[in-house]
Amino acid sequence: MSTLHVLSHSPFGDERLTSCLRLLGTADALLLCGDAAYALQPGTAPFNALENRQVKLFVLAEDAQARALQVPDWAEAIDYAAFVELSIHHDKVNTWL
Amino acid sequence: MAAVLLIESAMKFAIAVFSAAHAPSSRRALLFAQAALAGGHEIVRLFFYQDGVYNASDAVVTPQDETDLPKQWRTFITEQNLDGVVCIAAALRRGVLNTEEAGRYQRDAVAVSAPWELSGLGQLHDAVQDADRLICFGGA
Repeated sequence: MSTLHVLSHSPFGDERLTSCLRLLGTADALLLCGDAAYALQPGTAPFNALENRQVKLFVLAEDAQARALQVPDWAEAIDYAAFVELSIHHDKVNTWL
Repeated sequence: MAAVLLIESAMKFAIAVFSAAHAPSSRRALLFAQAALAGGHEIVRLFFYQDGVYNASDAVVTPQDETDLPKQWRTFITEQNLDGVVCIAAALRRGVLNTEEAGRYQRDAVAVSAPWELSGLGQLHDAVQDADRLICFGGA
């Protein structure tokens, strides 16, 4: 049983990312969209947490691009077609509303 | 053979939208829905809950230089012949009424018309039973 976790809030405004990382299972993946993409800002606590945790990490390409964020090699930038496929690949999708 | 494989891999999606039309997450919901159909999948139902009911409002006026999401939803749902259900309780408390509800509560303002439909939360539950995946969009 695997879950795709979808985050859209900035990691600098609340504890969603922290809570999510605590719950994340080994088969789970994390998709950053909207302001959640700011977690890819190098040198920040969220960036380091994600890098150290080595989670399966995805980011919506347009949201990273809109925020001038470089996607590190341990994350994958995807489009909406890949978002759909990712949601099928996992058993459940949990959006952190 | 290829056709059989395509049918086997087609999935049923239920999509729930919790955010207002001007929220980025509502736009993501539409782009996801369009990508799902483009990928050969089915959308069992689109359910608009909480502030998501504003996506169905004909009264929304979007600035000319911005994406008119209520209009895009309307076009998408009409062209694809989809089931666009708006939570009736959430819609009533936000003043997003159709003709029937405006008449029932003696209000002048009607903001919802076909292809949108006002109905209960049971429609979300029903869609989830039928679908392979429930995808929610809301918040930021």
